[in-house]
Amino acid sequence: MITVGVDIGSATSKAVLLSGDEVAGHSLIATGAESANSARRVMDEVLQRSRLSPNDIAYIVATGYGRVIVPFAQETITELTCHARGANWLFPSARTILDMGGQDCKAIRCDEEGRLENFAMNDKCAAGTGRFLELMARVLGLSLGELGELSLEATSEVMINSTCAVFAKSEVTSLIREGKARADVLAGLHSAIAARVYNLLRGVGVEPDLVITGGIGKNVGVVRKIEERVGLKALLPEEPQIVGALGAALIAQERIASGKEEAKW
Amino acid sequence: MVTSTSAKKHLATTLEVPALRKKYYAESLQQAGGRKVAWCSNGIPSEILEAMDINAVYLENYATVCAAKRLSSGFCRAGERAGFSQDVCGYARILMGHLLGGEEAPQAPYGGVAKPDFLIVNSYSCDSRMGWFGTMSRTLDLPLYVLDAPYQPQGGCMDDVNVAYTESQLEDFAAFLEEQTGMKLDRDKLREKLDLSRRSHDIQVEIFEMRKAVPSPMGAGDAYTIVWPGMYMAGTKECDEFYQRLRAEVSERIEKKVGVVPEEKFRLLWSGLPFWYNMALLNYFEEFGGVVAIENAYFRYQRSLPSQHDDPIKDMAISSTMRRPYAGDIEQRAELTRDIVRDYHVDGVVLAFNPSCRLMYVLQPELKNVLDRDGIPNVSIECDMADERTYSEGQIKTRLDAFIERMLSRRK
Repeated sequence: MITVGVDIGSATSKAVLLSGDEVAGHSLIATGAESANSARRVMDEVLQRSRLSPNDIAYIVATGYGRVIVPFAQETITELTCHARGANWLFPSARTILDMGGQDCKAIRCDEEGRLENFAMNDKCAAGTGRFLELMARVLGLSLGELGELSLEATSEVMINSTCAVFAKSEVTSLIREGKARADVLAGLHSAIAARVYNLLRGVGVEPDLVITGGIGKNVGVVRKIEERVGLKALLPEEPQIVGALGAALIAQERIASGKEEAKW
Repeated sequence: MVTSTSAKKHLATTLEVPALRKKYYAESLQQAGGRKVAWCSNGIPSEILEAMDINAVYLENYATVCAAKRLSSGFCRAGERAGFSQDVCGYARILMGHLLGGEEAPQAPYGGVAKPDFLIVNSYSCDSRMGWFGTMSRTLDLPLYVLDAPYQPQGGCMDDVNVAYTESQLEDFAAFLEEQTGMKLDRDKLREKLDLSRRSHDIQVEIFEMRKAVPSPMGAGDAYTIVWPGMYMAGTKECDEFYQRLRAEVSERIEKKVGVVPEEKFRLLWSGLPFWYNMALLNYFEEFGGVVAIENAYFRYQRSLPSQHDDPIKDMAISSTMRRPYAGDIEQRAELTRDIVRDYHVDGVVLAFNPSCRLMYVLQPELKNVLDRDGIPNVSIECDMADERTYSEGQIKTRLDAFIERMLSRRK
């Protein structure tokens, strides 16, 4: 039995193909202006890679910010429930999940079966999200992928007062003009993000193990800062961006198993 | 962006309220020439104003009317242009936009409100009101009366000293009204108004008690509407008769086991103020088998005390010291919320954080702590009660959907 989870995030669209106990394929593309289009494209891509056709798929669950506009999904489930399920499947010891995506951050608590227990999200502000880091990378003349490693070279971390994208941009510009090293500024930015998400984590209460998912999970600098704050080593999925889609595919599998009747998130 | 507005009402009696409200505002405008007009904050006892034939306009209610008619963006923007920061109470910004916005303000619903002769504010609901009414008093160059009341500690404040102080305040208030109207307060008339008001208040308490029934006979979508006559027409026959009809309807629904949803799967408490520009959000849970069975903002829980004195002001002093759930200790609110969760068979709580209402906002984190400690599932959403520009459909729905998923996954 093959199921698919499609996660339409604000920045990237993800699809995971699940066959029994195995992730049989995944795909990841940038979400365009037309979310429905992105959903179709990411689905086509994952099917092509696995040499499957839509008829081979038993059930599709859509999640993410754009979940309601996935035309071919049988069901929509929020990314909060999906991240809990996906992270707990990858790491059965996971009880706290920090999902750091393109436009929001979520602190999620789950039980031993990966069921959503509690959550907290950032409100109406892109501070400390992927978009924020994209903007800072541009200001510093770096690519998104370079930020993490470079920040580890910091010798004298600069204190950044604001994670507001607009304020931080001017603060970073001034710091660079003053001659501060980019690594030191980056370390400061990462600390500011960690401080902000730590508040979300405190809101739900951190219980080990902690898993970090979402695109920012690839930034080793941010991950280190969060680990320092929380006082815990974080578990990192090999591909942190597809955990929501994976959770959706897992829920799709459960729907089939339970005859689509019993809701068992 | 808000895509839906008014709540679906499940009770026939609730549908009478919009007409009552429209009539109330129309009469107020018609009578403006003859009777003195008082602009009032919430919490000013309407019985004494009724007894003195004063035409009372409750501004916060008018602000909710503006919000419900989807005019809050325009009024708030006008209020902000007039110098009121976005952090100031949404109700105040709407009214200041209406008052000072000139041509740029939207057209006022119901043809506007009657021009005031004087202003009355209470000191105990919140500090924003005092600043807002003070500003209006200076802007309009009109007298302002501040009705004060003692702080309400846990367990109430009905000791002799507090009651005596409240009585002195009410006497002083009556003297102010006498001075403004040039009329003497007719204490017998006040007594009649109080008797009627007490009766309709007690029927409301009874209705709120009835809402403990499973399935829920009346949800928050109806409840936020039906409190209106009791808040603004207390002491009138119309109000009394309204609640009698409502009680009969709720009672019939319970008898016939007619719930808000056909199969009740989970019951919620809405903590905080609703979003007046999107009351349909209260019905959102219904398609998933959920019902907002109860709300704590205008919760009616204490029956009135029987009349104890010949002088109605003395009775008012006692009742107004006991009827102020916001003026008290935060512990008291937490305790009340705990009782509601238990008595109304609540499975989960929606905590509405209304940023521009400091009074309600500061309570929510502590309520959240209490709920978390008790293991009661809850979700926090942040939106202003009146300023619809703060509403983000995607963000709110993601939180509520996840919460609904959580509620359904834990069903026994």
